[in-house]
Amino acid sequence: MGEEINKEIVTELLKIKGEARGVHFKNDGDFVLKEKGKEGIEKLEKELEELGCPIKYGKINQFDFYPAGMRVVSLLAIKKTFDWPDEKIVELGAYAMQVSWIIKLFTKYFFSIEKTLKSAPNIWSKYFTIGEIEIEEYNSSKNSVVLKVKNFNLHPIYCLCLKGVLLGVIRMVVKSQKITCEETECIFKNNENHKFLIKW
Amino acid sequence: MVEEKEIDSVKKISTLLEDLLLLEKYIKDLFTFFPLPVCFVSPLGVIFEVNPAFEKFIGYTSYEVVGKPIENFFEKEKIETLTKDVLESGNIEARDMIISTKGGEKVDVSLFGQVRRNEQEETTGFFIGFFDLTKIKKTGKELQDTQVALLNMLEDIEESRKKAEEEKNKTEAIISNFTDGLLVFDDKRKVSLINPQAEKVFNINNKDVVGKSILELSVFPELELIVNLVGPEIKDISRKEIPFKGDLVLEISTIPILKGDGKIGSLIIVHDITREKMIEKTKTEFVSLAAHQLRTPLSAIKWTLRMLLDGDLGTITSEQRDFIEKTYVSNERMISLINDLLNVARIEEGRYLYKPASADMAPIVQFVINSYKDEYSRKKIKLDFKAPENPLPRVLIDVEKIKLAIQNFLDNSLKYTPVGGEVVVSLKSIKKEVQFSVKDTGVGIPKNQQERMFVKFFRAANVLTIDTEGSGLGLFITKNIIEAHNGRIWFESEEGKGTTFCFALPVKEEFTEFLEEF
Repeated sequence: MGEEINKEIVTELLKIKGEARGVHFKNDGDFVLKEKGKEGIEKLEKELEELGCPIKYGKINQFDFYPAGMRVVSLLAIKKTFDWPDEKIVELGAYAMQVSWIIKLFTKYFFSIEKTLKSAPNIWSKYFTIGEIEIEEYNSSKNSVVLKVKNFNLHPIYCLCLKGVLLGVIRMVVKSQKITCEETECIFKNNENHKFLIKW
Repeated sequence: MVEEKEIDSVKKISTLLEDLLLLEKYIKDLFTFFPLPVCFVSPLGVIFEVNPAFEKFIGYTSYEVVGKPIENFFEKEKIETLTKDVLESGNIEARDMIISTKGGEKVDVSLFGQVRRNEQEETTGFFIGFFDLTKIKKTGKELQDTQVALLNMLEDIEESRKKAEEEKNKTEAIISNFTDGLLVFDDKRKVSLINPQAEKVFNINNKDVVGKSILELSVFPELELIVNLVGPEIKDISRKEIPFKGDLVLEISTIPILKGDGKIGSLIIVHDITREKMIEKTKTEFVSLAAHQLRTPLSAIKWTLRMLLDGDLGTITSEQRDFIEKTYVSNERMISLINDLLNVARIEEGRYLYKPASADMAPIVQFVINSYKDEYSRKKIKLDFKAPENPLPRVLIDVEKIKLAIQNFLDNSLKYTPVGGEVVVSLKSIKKEVQFSVKDTGVGIPKNQQERMFVKFFRAANVLTIDTEGSGLGLFITKNIIEAHNGRIWFESEEGKGTTFCFALPVKEEFTEFLEEF
């Protein structure tokens, strides 16, 4: 699947098993509001309605669980509606640290990189009912970490979003102006898992 | 059964989610409302969270702040110390710091910090709250400026006080060492100062009179005269002579002490003129004695010369007559001078006795004019008398003395009016006075000498060459005569054009007029 979206694709996406917390939609809505204002939200919601997935961002309960495929629909609709490049979706992912109340619940783990990484699988499970995250390799002397995401094959657009989320979290726990995140392996590129190399 | 349990669980989870949402909303509302800027910072110094007050204060959005190192916004060194301190001690209070806003402004703030710990008591970060010190510091600076200004004012006041003290000491030294007695009264007419000379003269003590009102001073016998003289209002008095105990003669003057347009006190100056009066008296006595001694032989000479001229002692030649006549005239002048001197002596001794009687001025003036007609005619000066058209009110006068006053005026006009000149004598009634004047077309009086015209022995410079024999006593005597009648005397003159001498005498109050007033 590419970044194309239509009613049929939406129907297929909504069939994906697994759920994601409402906070993801809250994040999408707030980011669009910040970037495009109320008109942007209205335009987006209209697009979603036309796609047969009428998400009302203001009515989402961020603590509740929604179909994971619906988040993919939200991301694709945003990208299409505003014709945003990939970097903007990465930025949207990182914005989660600004608005998510669930993330705030995890700030108790964010007092060191080690503690944060150790808590990562637990934090993941709070957000999704599918997929897992593991630390593949952590090198404190080289200031790098490789994170492996398993069983998470929603859509390639989610790779961009995850990249942003991981960047946002790492920014919170290391003091560096040069934090980078690169997806070195991807399920949608015939790899077994997603792997993200983060350096700072 | 299992299905029912699942339905119950779903209901419970749903309720919990609703509660969680409400709780989130409450926390969010509280967080939004909280007026003090607050942020949550990781132990590494990365900002996790800011409230709307923080955003508003700093000018950045949370998106621009969250995830950024805290030193980006605060003073690096100070915030590092604060981070260390708060992580070590758990909290810190009221740390002064400067925060940089998006607009580039540096704002003084007071910071408070409190650590946050997780269930394992691990420090997960710390809260920072602060408030703006700008207004407080501004107020503090204003207070400091005010304090400085007040201190400066106090210094100025102290300096002024010292100067005033110095001035006061100087003034007191001058007053204390002043040869005249001085009594200083404040605006309430109470004695504020009395100098040693006044204490000595009045035989009183400073502490007994200071603070007392002018009226209260009359309890001191020595001061009673002064109190009666100046009155309760301390009226203006200039060089008033009063005989004091024994031979003491005091000259009293009062002057108001003014500040701006207002009177803030009065000063009584007591000048002891006993010695001057004594010298003056001795002089007058000498002149009187000398004049008396001279007048007797001069009278004998006069009568002898008269007899010679009248041929009682035999026939004399024309040449002899000429010499004797000149001698006679000179003798007459000498007698006149002696008479003037005697009059002056009497005036000064207070023995210039007056014999007042009700009289009509018109015939008196006419009489004197008649006696001068020949002399004026000889000098070809036109003498005109503008007699009053209606009868004048009567005046209470010493006729002989008034005649003398009129003679003195006419004498002067005769002497100092050139040949062919004109003299006009007027007599009229104005209000309650009878005014007499002699207007001439004489040499006039130089402006700069007019003030001294009534001073004893004074003669204007421009007449010294015209008449070398004048005594300078005529106007002095005339002035004393007129003032002894409670009258007024004055003149108007312009050098080279002429002079008008005037006097006015009060009209005698008639009994009928007196009654009419009631």
